[in-house]
Amino acid sequence: MSEQSFYRQAGSYLDSIDVVEVQRGPEPGGLGGAYRAFGETLRGLKTTMSRLIEGPLTIQYPEEKTPVYPRFRGRHKLHRFEDTGLEKCVGCSLCAAACPADCIRVVAAENIPGERVSSGERYAAVYEINLSRCIFCGYCEIACPFDAITMGHDYEMADYDRTDLIFTKEMLLAEPIERTPLKSEGEDVKGAL
Amino acid sequence: MSHEKREVTVTIDGREVTAIEGEMLHDAARKGDVEIPVFCYEPKLGAPVGACRMCLVEIEGIPKLQTSCSTPVRDGMVVHTRTDQVKKAQNAVVEFLLVNHPLDCPVCDKGGECPLQDITQGWGPGKSRVIDEKRHFEKPIELSPLVAIDRERCILCYRCVRFSQEVSEDAQLQLLERGDRTYVGTFDDRPYVSPFHGNITDLCPVGALTNYTYRFRARPWDIEQAGSVCTLCPSQCNVSFTVRDEKVKRVLARENPGVDDGWICDRGRYGFEMFAAAERVTEPRTKGGTKVSYEDAIARAAAGLAARDGKVAAIVGDASNEEGFLVQGIVRGALHSPHLDSRPAAGPGIDAILDLARPELQATVTDIDDADVILVLGTDPLQSSPILDLRIRKAIRRSGARLAVATERPTALDGGAEAIARYAPGQASYFIGALTAAVASGAENVATPLAESLRDAGKIVIVWGERLGASATNELLGLARALDVDGPKTGLSDGFSAHQQVGLLEVPEVANARGLREAGVLPDAGPGLAALAVNGYGTEAIREALIDRSLDGLILVGVDPLRDFADTSRWEEAINAASFVVCFSTFATATAAKADVLFPLETHAEKDGTVTHPDGRLQRVRPAAGRPGDIRPGWQTLANLSLALGHDTGVTSQPTAFAALTAAVPFYASITESNIGGRGIRWQETESGASVPDAGIASADARSRRVSGESTPASGTSTAAPGAATDSPDTQRDSASAEAVAAPGAPELTLGTYRDLWAGPITELNPPLKFLKPSQRLELSPEDAERLELAPGDPVRVSQGDKSIDATVTVHERIPAGVCFLAEGIAGANANALLNGHQVNVQIEKRSEVPA
Ligand code: SF4
Ligand code: SF4
Ligand code: SF4
Ligand code: SF4
Ligand code: FES
Repeated sequence: MSEQSFYRQAGSYLDSIDVVEVQRGPEPGGLGGAYRAFGETLRGLKTTMSRLIEGPLTIQYPEEKTPVYPRFRGRHKLHRFEDTGLEKCVGCSLCAAACPADCIRVVAAENIPGERVSSGERYAAVYEINLSRCIFCGYCEIACPFDAITMGHDYEMADYDRTDLIFTKEMLLAEPIERTPLKSEGEDVKGAL
Repeated sequence: MSHEKREVTVTIDGREVTAIEGEMLHDAARKGDVEIPVFCYEPKLGAPVGACRMCLVEIEGIPKLQTSCSTPVRDGMVVHTRTDQVKKAQNAVVEFLLVNHPLDCPVCDKGGECPLQDITQGWGPGKSRVIDEKRHFEKPIELSPLVAIDRERCILCYRCVRFSQEVSEDAQLQLLERGDRTYVGTFDDRPYVSPFHGNITDLCPVGALTNYTYRFRARPWDIEQAGSVCTLCPSQCNVSFTVRDEKVKRVLARENPGVDDGWICDRGRYGFEMFAAAERVTEPRTKGGTKVSYEDAIARAAAGLAARDGKVAAIVGDASNEEGFLVQGIVRGALHSPHLDSRPAAGPGIDAILDLARPELQATVTDIDDADVILVLGTDPLQSSPILDLRIRKAIRRSGARLAVATERPTALDGGAEAIARYAPGQASYFIGALTAAVASGAENVATPLAESLRDAGKIVIVWGERLGASATNELLGLARALDVDGPKTGLSDGFSAHQQVGLLEVPEVANARGLREAGVLPDAGPGLAALAVNGYGTEAIREALIDRSLDGLILVGVDPLRDFADTSRWEEAINAASFVVCFSTFATATAAKADVLFPLETHAEKDGTVTHPDGRLQRVRPAAGRPGDIRPGWQTLANLSLALGHDTGVTSQPTAFAALTAAVPFYASITESNIGGRGIRWQETESGASVPDAGIASADARSRRVSGESTPASGTSTAAPGAATDSPDTQRDSASAEAVAAPGAPELTLGTYRDLWAGPITELNPPLKFLKPSQRLELSPEDAERLELAPGDPVRVSQGDKSIDATVTVHERIPAGVCFLAEGIAGANANALLNGHQVNVQIEKRSEVPA
């Protein structure tokens, strides 16, 4: 039974499924066979040749940094409201719940009028991410109902001490000292991380 | 009163479910594993109200959808919970509830454990069409100093209101206003005060009612729940500790119908911050507060005790069964002294205790539910065992039980009582004797009205207080006998029902009183209430012996005599006279400061051990939180101390300590940690339950009397308790009528004391409960207040001999003339200072200055 007829027989509930028609090359032998043998090989060689004439591609890291894509998931950032300066994070712990590596720790506290830290009733008194355990999956960013945490672009986090990899709220709120270059739109794939 | 209910069969979503007639459809569906979402339905709150409409189902033959929480099952009913019509209704109900719900889950304390979130997720439409402004209230505001209310989140399910109206019966919470302006509140926005009000935070299905003590402390995924037992009072409610970072953050009720019915009081709920108080003893200390290692402390304690040459006594209070058992092993086995006790005042002798321990005389907590008459005798459950107060209210409200109250002081239950009798402080045994006479022979006396309400009752539960004292306890046995307790129900001559059944339930003074007695911490009985060759001194005799130097060393475990025992100054004298004191204490109390060697004790959040409920239920206290400082388990310290004294108990762990206990107490023999489980087990219901020693003389006496058909004599002191003669400080006068106590114009009033629910470390060491800390109030009858020219609020000095304390006058309608009351255990003005073990009269003089 061909695939097509199988799907046709499989009942009405499959109607909604898109059936992707697979395009196949010509059968072996004859002209088609020759094309398959040489044509495809030449196509692959084209890429090889074009790289050959391009010359060496070495990025002088760390003097020169590889630009990353805008949606690159690097070290997290916590955000403040631009107008009020209040922290966006309300300490709801949803990021901690979403985190598959269990590396976020939030201890919330209540805002005192006059000494507001965040805009809601509660704020994060302690907010820590253990970056030595983080797998940079970005689930925390997706879970956050206030866009308080986002994945930044910073990927230089090597350190000599594991405990230094536990980033506190202050560290996450601060701007990274050096900005990681961003790829501009349409920029080539070359050297991208 | 309980009738066998017929079984019926209903079909729910195509499944045949066997249900009990009269059961609500929702519960029947649950038996068939069909989940119907509910918000307002909570059987513990009484009859369903059908307020939320979440539980709609389709019943064949009824055109409109019905609320499954308030529709009783009928045989042959066919029910559908998943049809399009039901789904549409469920979507609509959720949508309606969310019309005004703020959905501020991220800042809401309920988020993650919120039924509204779960039900919206499971049964809601998934999309909101609401674009209009939602209703607004000021939020969050104080409903009480312990509970915050966020009225925007309230879905008007009535649960909290029903709790206040029908369970704690304080009638303070109301739904005010109408329509979308309806909100939960109290009259005039006064704070909601009730010793049970924390339960509404467990009940609320949304985050409208939250605890200030848990506000923003943790999310469900940050915490662990650890089931244990609260040992702050003899109710021994089952609790669940919410633990984050090894510290208790919250206490929740853990429903156990045989113990607490799913409620806990505010003491148990909010009294957890003291576990980490600065006053905790966190390591062994020597006199003066020097910290020492455990090894050093044990060596010092062993050397000091051994040097006392058997002239050592022990008093145990707040301890587990295992700890009590090990203490009695140390005193009897290692120090060869017979002197130890676990009661704050002199109690009845072993024969009376054995008589009371007879399984057929024991009422269980659930017996209260279907009792015909409940007699509350010499205790105010609200103050001493709060959860029993709710249980008694429930029996009256739900099953029409009748209540009779006989106490010194007005109780919280008086309002629901059919008959109330007041006797003067110290006159309990006389009163019970009179009651026995009225019951047995129809004698006309002060107790006749009360006897009338016991007449023709099928099932009588007597809730009695240990503070009745020794001789009154003996009288109580006479009363139980007169009510024809055990054996074939022959009926008595004066018209009592032939099916009369009587059970006794004690409200002891310390949380694990029964367990300690059964573990052998009694002067006249060993483990398993076994008779001893030599009887020792009880608590009061120990005090006197210390003063006259016939005893020299003292071991105190979880007791604070300088605060909790009568006649505090004499106790001070006794402890000062003792040349060597070893104290085990949770907190740095005045008593602990006098110890030569002080060991820390664990709290019930840290301890591993068993306790015994007053109805005989063994329950397990499980370690939930980390032990602060260098605290080691109590069994370990005691076993090591025993070893250092040359007495090897073989105890090397909590299970071996438990095994040693069950091996020594014959009627605990078939109890294992697995059959204790999470709900506990009553030893009377186990195989070994029958091996409780025979009650000896007392019951033999009773049996012979029944055989001869003779009714109990009015005097009723038939139980020959060896300790009774020395242990009966009361009955010095033979008038029970309070009016006759003091003739008008007499300068003195008879002093009665009571244990206030909120007196003691609970309000001193828990910052959130500080506002409840009681001050000393002198309660007077209106007559006496007028005679003494005192008005409420007047500062007075109450003195007895050369001792006096300051108090503020309150006038109480229901207090008989000639009597006044003071609270025990209040720091700075402790009524225990005025007591001397006898009936006490006090002088009252007005002070000009207002107390600081
Ligand atoms: S990126 Fe993933 S692993 Fe890292 S903190 Fe966020 S949720 Fe956790
Ligand atoms: S970062 Fe976002 S998700 Fe995490 S606690 Fe703060 S507000 Fe909640
Ligand atoms: S009550 Fe429940 S649904 Fe409402 S805000 Fe709180 S968590 Fe969210
Ligand atoms: S406050 Fe909570 S329990 Fe009370 S009516 Fe509102 S939702 Fe129900
Ligand atoms: S649960 Fe049935 S109406 Fe609320």
